[in-house]
Amino acid sequence: MKWLTTLRDARPTTSRALGITLLTLLALLITFRLSALDDAKLASGAAIAIVVVGLSWLIGWSGQVSLGNSGFMAVGAYVTAIWANHHATTPIFVTLLLATGCGALSGLVLALPSTRLRGPYLAGMTLAFSFAVVPLALNFPSVTGASSGLTLNFLNAPSWFAGLFTGPQATVNANAQWSADVAIVVAAVAFFFMANLFHSRTGRAMRLIRDNDVAAELTGVNLPRTRTLAFVISAAYAGLGGSLLTLLNGSVTPQTYSIALSILLLTLMVLGGIGTLSGAVLGGLIYSYSDNLVSLVNKVTGVNPASTFGANLKGIVFGALLILTMLLAPRGLVGLGSQLVRLFAQLRNRT
Amino acid sequence: MSTLLTSRIMTDVFGGITSGAVIALVALCLVIVWKSTNVLNFAQGAMGMFATFVGMNLVFHDTNYWLCLVLSVATGLVVGGLTERVLIRPLYGKPEINPIVVMVGFLGLLEALVPAIWASSFNTVPSPFSQVYFQSHGNTVLLSPFVLYQIALALGVMLVVALLFQYTTLGLKMRAAALAPEVSRLLGVRVNRLLTLGWMLSSGIGALAGVIVSTGHTLDATNLDGIFVSAFIAAAVGGLESPLGAVIGGLLIGLAQQFILNYWSANLAPLAGVIVLLISLAIKPQGIFTRTVTRRV
Repeated sequence: MKWLTTLRDARPTTSRALGITLLTLLALLITFRLSALDDAKLASGAAIAIVVVGLSWLIGWSGQVSLGNSGFMAVGAYVTAIWANHHATTPIFVTLLLATGCGALSGLVLALPSTRLRGPYLAGMTLAFSFAVVPLALNFPSVTGASSGLTLNFLNAPSWFAGLFTGPQATVNANAQWSADVAIVVAAVAFFFMANLFHSRTGRAMRLIRDNDVAAELTGVNLPRTRTLAFVISAAYAGLGGSLLTLLNGSVTPQTYSIALSILLLTLMVLGGIGTLSGAVLGGLIYSYSDNLVSLVNKVTGVNPASTFGANLKGIVFGALLILTMLLAPRGLVGLGSQLVRLFAQLRNRT
Repeated sequence: MSTLLTSRIMTDVFGGITSGAVIALVALCLVIVWKSTNVLNFAQGAMGMFATFVGMNLVFHDTNYWLCLVLSVATGLVVGGLTERVLIRPLYGKPEINPIVVMVGFLGLLEALVPAIWASSFNTVPSPFSQVYFQSHGNTVLLSPFVLYQIALALGVMLVVALLFQYTTLGLKMRAAALAPEVSRLLGVRVNRLLTLGWMLSSGIGALAGVIVSTGHTLDATNLDGIFVSAFIAAAVGGLESPLGAVIGGLLIGLAQQFILNYWSANLAPLAGVIVLLISLAIKPQGIFTRTVTRRV
C-alpha cells in the first residue's frame, strides 16, 4: 500500500477527490438497495450533514460557537422556495448556488461586528439571531407565506433515471432515489471543498487562532478577516443545507428553523466528533435515523411512546447525550475508538 | 394628570418597565454566573422554569401561592448548586466552548424534561393580587396591584443582591473570589464553595423570575426563552461584567420592545434586540458599562 501514501503526500487534492468519489459511488450504489423511506431519510441526513460540517469547521477549527446556523438555513430555504416558485425551470445547482450565496451574505452581515467578540458573546449573539428568524418570517406573510410557509415542486427523477425502475411503485421509488442521489452528490461536493479547506492556508491559520490568537497575529494572520471568513463559510454551508432540505421536502415552514434546530445541529456535530469530516457524516446519519434511535430507547426503557414522557423522549435523549459526550468523550464518536484503545492500554499496564 | 397617566406613551412605559424588570433580573443572573465562573449560562431560563414548575405546579393542587413561591426558589438554589458541581466543575480549565456546549445541552434536556414530567395543562397560575387595572377619571391606567407586585418583587430582589454584594462579608468574599481566585484562596477564602454559591444564587433568582412571569399566565416550559435572549442582549450591551449595566440594559430592552410591539409589530421585537446588540457591539465591543481591560497572554 506504499503507493497510496505516496499519492496522498504528492497529490493531496487528487487523492482527496479520489477518496470522496469512491465513497460517493459506494453511497450511490447503496441507495439502489434502499426502500423509498430509507432514501428519504438518507437524503435529509445528507442535507443536515452539510450544515453540520460547516458548523464543525467553525467550532472545531476556528473555535467560535454559533447557535445561529438554523437562521442561515432559513435564509437558504426561503431563497430557494421563493426563487423556485418564480423561475421553475432553473437547474437545481443554480438554485443551490444562489441559496449558498445568500446564506454567506447573511453570515457576513452578522459576522462583521460579531467576530470581534470572543466565545460566549458570539454564541449569544447568534442565538439572538436565530431566535428572531421565526417571528421575522411570520411578519412578512406575503413573501414567506406566514406560518403555513411555502411549497414548491418536488425533485422529480428525469426520464432516463425513472426508466431504470419497474413495478407498481416505480415512480415513487425513482423519485425518492433520485432525491437521495442528488443530495449525496451535493454533499460530496461540499465535503470535498471542506476537506481542502481544512488543509488550506486559511485552515491552518484558523487552527492557530483557535489555539493561540496572539501567536497567530504575530505570525501575520489577520484575525478579524480570518474569523469573519470562517463564519461566512459556515453560514454558506448552512444556506446550502437549508436549500437542499427545502428542495427535498418540497416545502418550507418557519417553525422548522427555530432555535431547537440550532441546538440539534450542535448536538449532532458534538456526537459525531468536532472538527472532522467523518464526524459530520456520522452526525447526518444520526439525524437520518434519530427516530429509530428513539424508538430503540423506547423499547429498552419500556416508555410508552404515546405518553407525554415518550413524546418528549427525543429531546431528553439528545440533551443527555450532548452533555455526556462533552463531559466524557469530547471528541465524539470519531474520537471514541482511540479513547477506548488508550483506556484499555492503561488498564492492561496497571495489572 | 389623568391624560398623562392614561396616555398611550405612559401605557407603554408601564408595560415596558414590567417586562424590563424581569429581563433585568435574568440579566443580573447571567452576570453573577459570568463573573464568578466565566460561563454564559444558556440554560438560565430553562433552569428557572424547571424550578418554577416544581413549586408552582402545586398551586393547582390547592397549595398556598407563597409556599409555592418559596418552594420554587429553594428548588432553584438546589438545582443551581448541583449544576455547578456536576456539570460545570469538571470543565474548569477546558476550552471555553465546552461549558457553552454543555449548558446548551442542559437547555435542550430541561425543555424536553419539563413537558415530559408535567404534561401541559394550560392552567393559569392564579395571582395573589387583583389584576383589575386602576382607573383615573374614568380612563384605564395600565397598572394593577398585580403589575405593581411583579415590578416590586423584581426590583426588591435586585436591591437585596446589590446590598449583599456591597455590604456583607459574604458578598465581599464572592467578589474577591471572582476577581482574583488564587489570591483569595491564599487569604483563606474557600473559593470553590463561593463559585457554587454564585450558581445557587443566580439559579434561585432565575426561579423567582420564572414565578413572576408565570403568575397570572399559563405555566409553560418556554416562558423564559424570549426573556433569556433579551436578558443576554441586555447583559452583553452593558458588558457581561457589570451588574448595574445589565439592570439598566434590561429595563431599556424591555421598554424598546414594548414600544416596537405597540407602534410597529410584535414579530419585529426580537429582531430589534439583535439590531441594538449589533450596533452597540460595533461601537463598543466590550460593553458600555465596562472599562476596557487588556487580556493577559
